[in-house]
Parts: sequence; structure tokens; C-alpha cells
Amino acid sequence: MSSLFSSLTAAARALDAQRFGLDVTGQNIANVNTPGYTRRVIDMAAVPPESNRTAGRGVDVIAVRSARDLLIERRLQQELPAERREAALADVLSVVEVALGKPGESIDAAFDRFFDAFATLSQSPSSSVARQEVLLQAESLADSFRDMAQRIAIAQRDTDIQVTSAAQDVNGLAAQIAKINETIARTGESSGGILHLQDEQSVLVRQLSELVDVDVLQRADGGVDITIGNGRALVIGENDYAVQTSVVSGVSHVFSAGVDITSEINGGKIGGLIHARDVLLPGYQASLDTLAYEFATNVNTLHAAGVGGNGGTGRNLFTFSPAIVGPSGAAGAIAVDPVVAADADMVAAAGAGAPVGDNTTAREIAALRHARVVGGSATFHDSWGQLVYRVGRDSQSASNEQQSREDIVNQVDALRDQVSGISLDEEAVNLLKYQKAYEANARFFRAIDATLDTLLGILR
Amino acid sequence: MRVTFNAQNRNSTAGLEDSASRLIEFQRQVSTGKRIEKPSDDPSATLGSIGEHAETAAIDQYARATDSVASRLSVVDTVLSDLIMQMERAQVSAASARGSSKTQIQRDAAATDLEGIRDTVFGDLNTSFNGTFVFSGSASTVAPYTRVGSGPISAYAGSTSEMVVDIDQQRAVKIAFNGQLVTQGTEPQDIFAEFDDLIAAVRAGDNAGIDAGMQALQRMFERVSTAQGRVGADLRTIDEQKLRLSELRRSSVKRLSSLEDTNMAEAITGMAQADAAYRAALGAVNSVTRMSLMDYLR
Repeated sequence: MSSLFSSLTAAARALDAQRFGLDVTGQNIANVNTPGYTRRVIDMAAVPPESNRTAGRGVDVIAVRSARDLLIERRLQQELPAERREAALADVLSVVEVALGKPGESIDAAFDRFFDAFATLSQSPSSSVARQEVLLQAESLADSFRDMAQRIAIAQRDTDIQVTSAAQDVNGLAAQIAKINETIARTGESSGGILHLQDEQSVLVRQLSELVDVDVLQRADGGVDITIGNGRALVIGENDYAVQTSVVSGVSHVFSAGVDITSEINGGKIGGLIHARDVLLPGYQASLDTLAYEFATNVNTLHAAGVGGNGGTGRNLFTFSPAIVGPSGAAGAIAVDPVVAADADMVAAAGAGAPVGDNTTAREIAALRHARVVGGSATFHDSWGQLVYRVGRDSQSASNEQQSREDIVNQVDALRDQVSGISLDEEAVNLLKYQKAYEANARFFRAIDATLDTLLGILR
Repeated sequence: MRVTFNAQNRNSTAGLEDSASRLIEFQRQVSTGKRIEKPSDDPSATLGSIGEHAETAAIDQYARATDSVASRLSVVDTVLSDLIMQMERAQVSAASARGSSKTQIQRDAAATDLEGIRDTVFGDLNTSFNGTFVFSGSASTVAPYTRVGSGPISAYAGSTSEMVVDIDQQRAVKIAFNGQLVTQGTEPQDIFAEFDDLIAAVRAGDNAGIDAGMQALQRMFERVSTAQGRVGADLRTIDEQKLRLSELRRSSVKRLSSLEDTNMAEAITGMAQADAAYRAALGAVNSVTRMSLMDYLR
């Protein structure tokens, strides 16, 4: 009798276990599209017999666990910052390269029109129309330089704003991760509820890795500790240590506990933005400044030595407003000298000591078109071309690198999916498996029940 | 290997995005006719393109300069031809007044004719083109010779330095001439003074003076002929230069086209392939997402 009742108990336990299996399968199917969800796996074990007169006490569910591979997740946390860094660089540079304009329609075309105007003046040095044209083209070229300098400055400013905004996102994510750490510590590792917290934690750490390169240390209780830069604490247990941004030399620097860690951040969106803002964009700006400075200086040297239509001499054609020292800031400050701009007769066409009507200076300035004066080896067009080439190459390199890194991330994601992802086919099989097991156990239950009825019938 | 629902979706999406972006890129190339939209599409070609645009612009400028110089030199050539003709006329007039048989009336008529020729030469040498005097050298805004009423013609007021214009990076052509070199050369006095002396000699019947004047006219004739020869050589150079610039421009535009323009045959073929690939990707996504064991559990 007692063993028949034990069999009934075992059948009931087995029914419960198979129902639980169906429950987990249903949960897996329900979360097939949930970001960060890891496949749940049910662990069952046979319940051992109480005595050698029974086969056993059926089956029991001993655990539900997440199918998670920490090594793969760590790999993902290492690859994501590099991919996001290149993506951020590619984004910034795509804006800059559009701002540079197309060949033959940008500053290079303004150079051509400027030199053409002086060449025309050299053919008709006494023509007031030709002088006006020179002024017009000089102003147009100065405008082009200033516009270009402003576009690069705007790109730099927008990038700086993004750095500040991304740093705030880092703090938001760090606070959420610390909160989850706290809940995990309170809930306890053995609780089934920790699994969904870890899924959520995994999503947040992934988002954090996209923003900045982080080191993630797994805690014994299932939470995570996170550091950024050279081991600066961001999340330790239930405490988050927010990063701050503060303006240093006109741009936002990132601080952790009062220490400037800007130079320690290399990866993630913030790393890419900082590299673009502090290295690439200033480099382009410096090249543009050098070009504007060399151009204005060379033209001014010839122009000041020449003689204007009114016999005046010693006047520069270009000036810098505000005044500058050296090339820095030249592109943003270049302008036609206001005195010359107000009187076209101040435009010098005649050579030094030559009578009005001579064209030596106009010819010399027109011939600057071919002069290798920038850095002693490049023409103005060459120098502009080199700047455009540099931006194009940097942008192309960032895009290619981002594509290559994205492929790696996709591969690691695929590896993660192989372990943690939901296969609907597999779940369908599980569904069938638990359903059939449930049916079989129900039949077993009925068989024991019928046996008990038979036994009780003998007693009647 | 476990094939998961998310992996299928991710791969399908990536495949669709990849083939769609290739299709869009080919469509852009075909519709715009340009291979390069931004520097990162091909940084080296962009650099080359900037160089070729600069080259084309410089060639266009030299072509305009060549046209302008050709017009100016044609005017100068015409003036020099007229000067040669005037020298010949003056020789004839002076010769007609020579000899003891000439009457005063005949000599006065010849002198008057010579005065007219002198005035024509004066006008020729003060020729201007587009507001600049062609025989004032680099002082192109100043008339080379002036005269108040019917008074004496002034000394040369232009510049002895001449003015050139570049018709190529390494080639320049003279556009404003040193009038003094034509009218005086290395002589002690210019042609107008020689004319005055000759006219006086003609009126006075001074055969020796007339002979001296005729010799001065001959030297003037030779100087003008030499100048015209140089102008003719420059005009021939300009004709050659026009052809050369035209060739240079054609080759520059061709290089520019090979750098910037879409190879339509390639692009259209590529677009057809990308379109087929995109449709295939759509079909693959459709069939992959349709298949599931769930469908068989009924």
C-alpha cells in the first residue's frame, strides 16, 4: 500500500516537474525577442529511493539556470568599445568631409577664381572692372576660408557636446547597474529571480561598453564591479561613482573622483569622440590655418611691394581680424584689408618702382597659382588637396575599421546566441518533450490509481 | 551548432542591409553620373580630381589670356603695317620734293603731305586697346606721345620697360611695347623730330637734309619691320599655343572624367546584380522566417 502511495506521490512530483519544464519552455518562447534574455535551462534529477524495495521517488527540479558563457560576454565587452569608437569617428568625419565640399566647388575653386582675377588684371592693368573683380574674388576666398574654419569649429563643438551627453549616459547606466547589484545582493544568489536581473545587468553593461571601454569584474554574489580608464571605479557593489565633465582649454574633459581621465579613455563612443575632437579636427583646422596663413602671407608680400592704380604702395591685400600670431587661427580670421576693400585702386597691379599701368605684380600674384610655397613644397591647391585627402582617408579608415569590428562583434554575438539565444525549433522539441512526458506521467498516475482501486476492491 | 531565432533575424537583416546599400550606391552612381560622392569614397581619386580641376582652371585661364593677347597683337600688327605703309609713303613724298627742278609749290605740297603722314604716325603710336596704350611700355595708362593743338609732338612719355602677359606657365608674350624703341631706337632723335627736320628741308629745298631725312625714314622702316616680325612670330606662337592648350584641356578633362565619372556599363551591370541580390535576400528572409518546427506541431 505504502509503496503504491509513494508511486502516486512520485507521479505527482513528475507531473509537476514536466509542467515546470513546459513553463520554462513557454518563458523561453515568450522572450525570444527580449534583448539580453538568456535561455533558461531546467535541471532535473531523479529522486533516490527511500529503501531498496522501491525504484525511486520520481523526479524533481533541482535548478533553473541561464545558459550564459561569461567568457563570450567578456569578449563582447572588449570588442564593443573598439567598434563604437570607430563608428563615432566615422560619424564625426562624415560631417566634416561633406563640409569640405566637392572637388572644383570648394576652396580650390575659390583659389582658381582669385588667380584668374589677377591674371585678367595683368592683361588690363588699368581696368577698374578687373580691379573690382580681384577684390570680389579675394573677399569670396576669404569668406570660403572663414566658412570652412567655422564648419570645422562647429563639428568640434558638436562633438564636445556629445562627449558631455555620453558622459551623462555613462552615469545613468552606472547608477542602474549599481541598483541591480544592490537588488542581487539582497535577493541572494540562490533565488531564481536573480536570473532576470543578470539579464538586465548584461544589457546595461553592453550599453556601457558601447560608450566607454570598461573592465567588468564578476562579483561572487552575481553582481558586477566596473572600472574605467586606468582602473578608476565606476561601479563597486551597490555604489556608483559618477564621472564629471568640466571645461578645460575650451573643451569638456572627463573627471573621475577629481582626476582628469580624458586621456585614459580610448574606446567606446566617448573615446572616438575625444579622439576626433582633440586630435583629428584640430589637425584639420591647423592645416587649414597654415594654408590660409601661407596664402595671405605670400600674396601680401607681393602686393605690398606693388603699386596700386592710384600710385599707392606698401598695402597688404589680406589682413587677419582678430589679429593672430603665427598661422593659428588664420583661416577663421582672414579678410580683405578694409582700406583696400573700400578702394579698388589700392589693388596693386604694377611692380615695385614701375609706373601705374604696369602689370608685374598682378602677373606675379597670378603666378602664385603654380608656386610651391606651402611648406616649401606644395602649391595652394596641393595643400588643399592634401587636407581633403587626409579627411577622406581618415573617414574611410574609420568606416572600414568599424565594418571590420562590427563583423567581429556580430561573430561574438553569434557565439553568444549559440549558447544563450532561443532556438524556436529547440523549444518546439522541448515543448513536445515535456508535453509527452506529462501525458506519460498522467497515464502512470492513472495506472497506479487503477491498481489502488483493484487493491481496495479486494477488501470489499 | 544551435541556430537561434535572433541569429537568423540578425543575419537576415544584415544581409538585406548589405545588399540594399550596394543597390543604392549603384543607383546613386547611375543617376548622378559620378563615381565619387565624398572624399572617403576614394581619397586618392579625390586628391587627383582636385589637381585636375586646378589644371583645367589654369588651362582655361591661359586660353582666355591667349585669346586676349591675340586680339591685342592683331591690333599692334595692323598698326605696324600701317606704320610701314606710312614710311613708304613718306619716302615717296620726300623723294618727290628732291631735286633742283622742284618748285616751291611742289615742295610745300610734299611738306604738307609729310605733315599728314607724321600726324598719322603720331596717331598710330598712340593706339590703345581696352583702355591701355600699346606703345607706352609698362606705363600703359600714359599716352606715349602728346601734342597740344598743332604744336610739336612731345618726347616719349611711356616706359622703356615692356609689359608681358603669361600665356602658359613658362611662356609670356609682350603686350605693351616700348614705343621709343620703334620711333627712335639708338638714334639721337625720334621719328617725329626727324619728320620735322625733313619737312623743313623739303620746304627749304635742302636736298642734303631731304637725303638725311629719307635715311632716317628708312631706319624707322627697318625698326618697324623688325618689330612686326617679332609680333608675327608671337602671333604664330599664340596659334600654336591655342592648339596646345586645347589638347591639354582635352586630356585633363579625360583624366578628370576617369577619376570622377561613373563607368555606366559597370554601374548598370552592378546595379542589375545588386538588384538581383537584394531580391534574392528578400526571398531568403521570407523562406527562412517562414520555416519553424512550430508549424508542424498541430
